[in-house]
Amino acid sequence: MASPVTAQVAAETVRDLRAASAGRDFAVYLSRKLATAIVSFAALLVVGFILFSLIPSNPVAALTRGRPTTAKQLAFLTKQLGLNLPVWERFAHFVGNTVTGNLGYSWQFQEPVATLIAQRVWPTLLLVGSATIVSVVIGMWLGIRSGWRPGTLLDRVATGTSITFWSMPTFWLGIMLLVLFASGFGPIPAIFPAGGMSTPGAPGGLTPDHILDVLRHLVLPCLTLVLVTFGQYQMVMRSSVVDELGSPYLLTARAKGLRDAEVERRHAVPNALLPSVTVIFLQIGLVISGVVTVETVYSWPGLGYLAYQALQIPDLPLLEGTFLVFSASVIFFNLVADVLYRFLDPRVRRQ
Amino acid sequence: MKISRFARSGHPSGQRRRRVPGLAAVFALGIATAGIAALAAAPAATASSAGSSGSTLRVEADTSYSTFNPFLAYFNGDLNIIGNIYPTLTTINQQGQPAPYLATKWSVSANKLTWTFTIRSGLKWSDGKPITAADAAWTFNLIMHNSVAATANGALVANFATVTAPNATTLVITTKQPEANMLYVSNPITGIPIVPEHIWAKQVAHLSTFKNQTMPVVGYGPWTLTGYVPNQYATLTANSSFFMGAPKFHTLIVQYFSDSDAAVAALKSGQLDEIDDLTATQFEALKGDKDIDLYPSVSNTWTAIELNPGARTQSGKKFGNGSSALLDPVVRQAIEMAINKQELVTKVWDGLAVAGSGYMPPAYPQWVWTPPASESLGYDPAKANQLLTKAGFKMGPGGVRIDPKTHKPLVLRLGIHSDEASDAEMAPYLQEWLKAIGIQVDVQSMSFNQLNTDLPEGDWDMLSDSWSTGPDPTYLLSIQTCGDLPTSLSQPGNTDSFFCNADFDKLFAQQSSEFNVAQRANTIGQMQQILYSNAVDVILYYPDNLSAVRPGAAKDFFYGKTNAQGFYPQQNLFINWSSATPVASDAPASSSSTLWIVIVIIAVVVLGGGGLIYWRRTTAGQRE
Repeated sequence: MASPVTAQVAAETVRDLRAASAGRDFAVYLSRKLATAIVSFAALLVVGFILFSLIPSNPVAALTRGRPTTAKQLAFLTKQLGLNLPVWERFAHFVGNTVTGNLGYSWQFQEPVATLIAQRVWPTLLLVGSATIVSVVIGMWLGIRSGWRPGTLLDRVATGTSITFWSMPTFWLGIMLLVLFASGFGPIPAIFPAGGMSTPGAPGGLTPDHILDVLRHLVLPCLTLVLVTFGQYQMVMRSSVVDELGSPYLLTARAKGLRDAEVERRHAVPNALLPSVTVIFLQIGLVISGVVTVETVYSWPGLGYLAYQALQIPDLPLLEGTFLVFSASVIFFNLVADVLYRFLDPRVRRQ
Repeated sequence: MKISRFARSGHPSGQRRRRVPGLAAVFALGIATAGIAALAAAPAATASSAGSSGSTLRVEADTSYSTFNPFLAYFNGDLNIIGNIYPTLTTINQQGQPAPYLATKWSVSANKLTWTFTIRSGLKWSDGKPITAADAAWTFNLIMHNSVAATANGALVANFATVTAPNATTLVITTKQPEANMLYVSNPITGIPIVPEHIWAKQVAHLSTFKNQTMPVVGYGPWTLTGYVPNQYATLTANSSFFMGAPKFHTLIVQYFSDSDAAVAALKSGQLDEIDDLTATQFEALKGDKDIDLYPSVSNTWTAIELNPGARTQSGKKFGNGSSALLDPVVRQAIEMAINKQELVTKVWDGLAVAGSGYMPPAYPQWVWTPPASESLGYDPAKANQLLTKAGFKMGPGGVRIDPKTHKPLVLRLGIHSDEASDAEMAPYLQEWLKAIGIQVDVQSMSFNQLNTDLPEGDWDMLSDSWSTGPDPTYLLSIQTCGDLPTSLSQPGNTDSFFCNADFDKLFAQQSSEFNVAQRANTIGQMQQILYSNAVDVILYYPDNLSAVRPGAAKDFFYGKTNAQGFYPQQNLFINWSSATPVASDAPASSSSTLWIVIVIIAVVVLGGGGLIYWRRTTAGQRE
């Protein structure tokens, strides 16, 4: 089926051309995915702005709540916050602020939103990062074990536990763990702190004491996130492994005389991993935005807690800023999953 | 079968296989993370229990922090700190009355327009510069003449004409109208803090973005702000030379908890020594705890149901979709009489509140007014029914009265706060009691923001409302004057519930120039009488401020004697934080908690180690 042109070139050149065309394909693939991501982000800007403009709010009243204020003060504050501007002008400001990256000026903190987000992004990354690692490890391991031998006691216990925790409201589970481990309950003494990121008054810096102190504060919020997320990894991994169980290539592997554990590890699991990788990356984006309740329960000074504070006024520039970070992280990790998938699965490359 | 530990990494592996060791690395990393985290439990736990028995007082912040700039700060969390690190002209004593602070004495001219304050000499800012009358004059003038500086406290100097400092110890304030509340204008926390001119003069140009977070903050007061960790806590150090007496603790940490149950947990575990604003449920739950003392104190807050008397602008333009039935004061009075307030106190607040009637809450006894028996609109459903029938509201089908003007059933909306547990508990009672007088109530639970949006638009019938006040009643009274109605639909005023009454306004003007406290209280009593008989704000109850202290950490935090109901007088943080005294520590870290920490560490090691061993066993074939 070769065209007259390819028929004339040597086999080596064919290989070179193939490599070049694969590179080109990837570039096309990547740029298409990037374009999709950018379009989604632009759409989000508009949707986000419209949504937040629709929130019933009276920020001036919320900010000055209970304090003596004159009409003159209120008018000045309204003007200062830009609330007197027409909607289209506020949208133009919002887009301008987003493009330039300063994200506007928080009404309640009287500070640029970008500064606030930069301050709070690290605690969130620490929390989300550690929770993701732990829940991926636990979820995948349980998923493999229960998928390889479905119906066993381990499978039933693991699947039951995963579903139970997965279906729990995060804030509720957070409060329960807080009551159990942070305040002392029955014979259980208070093991972990009830909130914050470090012990007040203790010196900070990169000292071992401080690091241990932060880790100690991390345990409960991290545990809450792990418990509500590991179930998804377990379920996806389990069903992918189950899907592979009847495959002829496993029979072949067994016929070659491989041990059962080896068949599982070298043949079944690598194939079953693909859906899990997708889920993991999609999930990271969602977990970042899902930390709002956990951070609020544990006063963890991250982005989720910042979003919660913004919502209370509502402090629109701050709310829009945090919303932007949350949605951008979902889009970003979607993109990462798409690109990674191409490397992991040859079938995607061929398409 | 036995293969060295590192064999795997040297094993030639295909592309597929490479992923498996990758997973193992992630697994190991996860275990390590969990392990380190659990191990971390040990040292810091002992540190925290040792710290609370030293001379560090740990209390809960009222709100999260946003700025320590006293010209911009609105939130209580910020104001509580600012009130303790900057001086004021006067303070509020344990009896709730104005008392000397920077001003040692004061006098007012015969025409009641010129106030002369004598400023205490010999006091120094924390950087060693003297505190003079010029600092006070500079602060007031800045607020009077700079819109940004007026952001937070502009209303307090709205009546000031001039402020001058003829010499270092004299401050002269002239006012446009007589100002009876002059001694409340510059109080700790609720009033205007005086700042050092030599520091702040440099900040005027960029005041709107200045957050005052360079530590230590130059000021004067019982405490000096020496540390701040954004959105977590502020650290204050005692001013050992404070002229009213140095605080008993050396360090004060004010930490914010975004979840009140977390704050309770922190109190129980000794992470905090004192917390305020407990709910009745939390308060009851702490009752059995021998390590915690409970302090209910009388309230500076009321909770009410506002009845929409007809939303209108100052020029009388009507707007909003409030029920026309509520325009009739008799209907509003009938509603007030249908409500069993004592029952609400018992059922919703477990008795930790006082049933309401007068507009001024019980915290400041000098302003309290209670209705005479003849005027009482107390619980009397039979009389409420009579009033409604007499007003022409005939009983219709289903036990719901018919509005004679619209010929429609009398159905009223009740807006409650979705984030207030007590509102949700209260609503079914109100629904039932109003049903008994033929009014159907449609409960609408909404966010604080939704309520706040509906209110100035007049789109409501009944709303749950709550206000608190400082020792000066002026502002709380002002939001009921005609002058606070909106000027136009786009300019919502400060009005609380569109109340407007000429007699009330006359008395409001009168009390603002009455310098005799008893006389002023009498006038304010008459004003409360007008509010009460108009039944626009049906004051349901004054919920106690519920606080808790660890007696093992601090004593003498709260002051005063309990009343007949067992409630303490209104407390003042400015006094509480200084009077709190350390208690000698008893036992250090309890052995049981150490035991548990050890158990957790062992569990993690066993599980993690077991997992690794199992992993190696199952991959043994691969490594062969």
